[in-house]
Amino acid sequence: MIPLIAWRNIWRSRTRSLVVIGAIAIGVWAALFMTGFATGMARGYVRSAVDNIVSHLQMHHPQFKEDYDARFMVDTPGAVADRLREMPSIKAVSARAVVNGMASTPKGARGVQIKGINPDEEAGVTTLREKIVEGSYFLPDRRNEVLISVAMADKLHIKMRSKLVLTFQETSGELTTGAFRVAGIFDSGNKPFDETHIFVDHSDMAALLAPGSPTEDVIQEIAIMLHAPKTAATVSDTLQSLFPGLLSETYHQISPDLEMYESQINTVSYIYLGIIMLALVFGIVNTMLMAVLERYREIGMLMAIGMNKIKVFSMIVFEALMLGLIAAPLGMGLGWVSMLYLGRKGINLSAYSESLRLYGLEQIIYFELPPETYWQAGIFVMFTALLASLYPAWKAISLRPVEAIRKI
Amino acid sequence: MSVIIAKGISKTYDPDGMPVLALQRIDLEIREGEFTAIVGPSGSGKSTLLNIIGGLDKPSEGMVEVGGHMITELSDNELIDFRKEHIGFVFQAYNLIPVLTARENVEFVMLLQQRPKAEREARTKELLHAVGLDDKMDKRPGELSGGQQQRVAVARALAPKPAFILADEPTANLDTKSTENLLDIMAELNREEKITFIFSTHDQRVINRARRVITLVDGAVASDEKRD
Ligand SMILES: Nc1ncnc2c1ncn2[C@@H]1O[C@H](COP(=O)(O)OP(=O)(O)OP(=O)(O)O)[C@@H](O)[C@H]1O
Ligand SMILES: [Mg+2]
Repeated sequence: MIPLIAWRNIWRSRTRSLVVIGAIAIGVWAALFMTGFATGMARGYVRSAVDNIVSHLQMHHPQFKEDYDARFMVDTPGAVADRLREMPSIKAVSARAVVNGMASTPKGARGVQIKGINPDEEAGVTTLREKIVEGSYFLPDRRNEVLISVAMADKLHIKMRSKLVLTFQETSGELTTGAFRVAGIFDSGNKPFDETHIFVDHSDMAALLAPGSPTEDVIQEIAIMLHAPKTAATVSDTLQSLFPGLLSETYHQISPDLEMYESQINTVSYIYLGIIMLALVFGIVNTMLMAVLERYREIGMLMAIGMNKIKVFSMIVFEALMLGLIAAPLGMGLGWVSMLYLGRKGINLSAYSESLRLYGLEQIIYFELPPETYWQAGIFVMFTALLASLYPAWKAISLRPVEAIRKI
Repeated sequence: MSVIIAKGISKTYDPDGMPVLALQRIDLEIREGEFTAIVGPSGSGKSTLLNIIGGLDKPSEGMVEVGGHMITELSDNELIDFRKEHIGFVFQAYNLIPVLTARENVEFVMLLQQRPKAEREARTKELLHAVGLDDKMDKRPGELSGGQQQRVAVARALAPKPAFILADEPTANLDTKSTENLLDIMAELNREEKITFIFSTHDQRVINRARRVITLVDGAVASDEKRD
C-alpha cells in the first residue's frame, strides 16, 4: 500500500508535481540532445575523416611509415590488390604512390605529401572526386596534372591552370622534379589535411619516383574501404595473416585521434547528464521537502498509529522515484523524437564553417545517439531522484509525532 | 484487569528556560472496559497525560505499564511498534490519510501489522458497519463530513484490536448531532465489545456520558469519580 499512497500523494499537488516532472523530462531531453549533438559531431568527423582521407584500412610496407621513405614499397601490389578485391567484406581498393616532397611556385614553397592515385580506383575509396570545387578531377589522357586544395592554392598563391613544381627523392635517393599544372581544386572540409596533401596521377608520379621500374609496381600505400566499418579490426587481422610482409592498420590505428574522439563522447555524455541531474537534484529536494513539510501533521499521525520509520522513509523515497519514473520516459520520448528528426535533417552550422573546417568538422551535424544512452539517462534520473529524496525522507522520519500532533 | 497502570508520572516542559510543570506525580489505573473521560481546564495537562499513557511522549519521572509492558522503558522505534499493536488513537483532526478511502484507511493499520488479506477485508467491513458507514467505504476523507471522518477514525483505531482507545478531544470539531452520534457508537462498542475508551473533553454533554471522570487541575488529579 505504500507505493499506492506515494503514487496518490504525488497527485495531491498536481501542478507542483507536473512542474518537477516537466523539469526532469526536459533535463533528460537536454542531456540526450547534447549527447546526440556531440555524438553526431564526433561520428560525422570520423566518417568524413574515413571517407575523405583515411579509409577503413591501409596497408604499407612495415617500414614505410617510419620515415615515409618511398623506397619501402608494397611487394607485388597488383597481386595484393587483386586478392583484396576478391574478399567479400571489402568494398573498394585504391593503390597509391606516396612520397613527401616540396611544392613550389614562383611565389612560394611548401612541404607536402604527394599521393599518386589511379583516378578510378581512388573514386571508389575516397570522396576526392566529389570534393572538387573548381576545375575537374583527372581527365583521361592528360599528363602531369595536379589536384590541390583551396587552402593550398591560398598558401601558394596560385589558381587553376597555374604551374606547380614538385620536388622529391626518387627511390634511388636522387632528387627529382616535375612540373605539374593545376587541373582541379578540392575542399575536403578538413583544413589540416588540405594544407598538406596534393594529388597527382599515379603513372606520372611513378615515372618520376622510380624511373625504370614497371609503373604498376610503384605503390607505397593500399587504401581499403569496407562494407561495414565495424569489421575493420577483424578484416585487418585477416589481412595481416594473409600478407605477413605488409603492415595492415585500421583507421583507429592510423588516426588515434579518431578513436579518442569517439571514446570521449561517452565521457561527454556522462558530464552532460551529471550537470543536468545536479541541477535537478535541487528541484526535487525542494519539491519533496515542501511535500514533507506540508504533511507534517499527517506524517506525525502515521507514526503515532504505528507506521515505522523505514516505511515513512520509503514512502517519501517512493514519491520521488515515481516522479522520476514518470518523467524519465517522457524525456526519453522527447529525445527519441528529436533524434529522429535531427538525425535525418541535421543542424546546419554553416555559419561557423570557417572554424569547423579548421577542425575538420562537418557543417551539417546529423544527430546520433547510441541506444544505451537512453537507459543510461533513465538510470541517472532514478539515481538522482533517489539521492534527492534522502534528505526530505530523513526530515520526515526525524519529526516527533507528539509535536506534529500538538499542532492539530 | 488493569490495562494501564501509571505511577508517579510528572512531566516538565522546558522549551526556553522557563520550566512548565504540566503533570505532577500522577497515579492512575485504568481497568479493562472502562469508559473514562479526562477533563479539566485548558492547559491542565489532559493531552500530556494521554500522550504519555499512549506511548507518544515520555514522562520526566514515573513509569507507565500498558498490558504488562513497561512502555516508559521502550525506545522510540519500539514505541512505534508498540502503538501499532496495542493502542488505538483518535485525534481531534487529521486522523486519516487523505489519499486513501475510508476502507483503505481502516485496512492500512492492519497492513502495517501484516494481517492476512481475508482478515483485513472482513474486519474492515465489520468495523465500518459498526460505525454506520457501510455506504461510505469508498469515499476519501475529503468527501466525508467531520463526524463521518471521526467515525472512520474510531473504526481505524479499533482495527488492530488494541488494548484501549485514546481519544484526545475527539468531538471538539463536531456539531451537536455528530457528537451525539459518535458517542453513541463509542458507548455501544464499549458496552457490546468491552472496548476500553479513554477520552479527553471540554464538552459537558460528553462528560455526562462517561462512566468515570478524572478531573485534572494544574497537572494534578483533582477528582476521580466513578458513576457505575
Ligand atoms: N511541547 C510543549 N512545550 C512546552 N509546553 C508545553 C508543551 N506541551 C504542553 N505544554 C504545556 O503543558 C501544559 C499542559 O498542556 P496540555 O496540552 O497537556 O493541556 P490540555 O489540558 O490538553 O489543554 P487543552 O485543553 O487546551 O488541550 C500547558 O501549560 C502547556 O502550555
Ligand atoms: Mg489538549
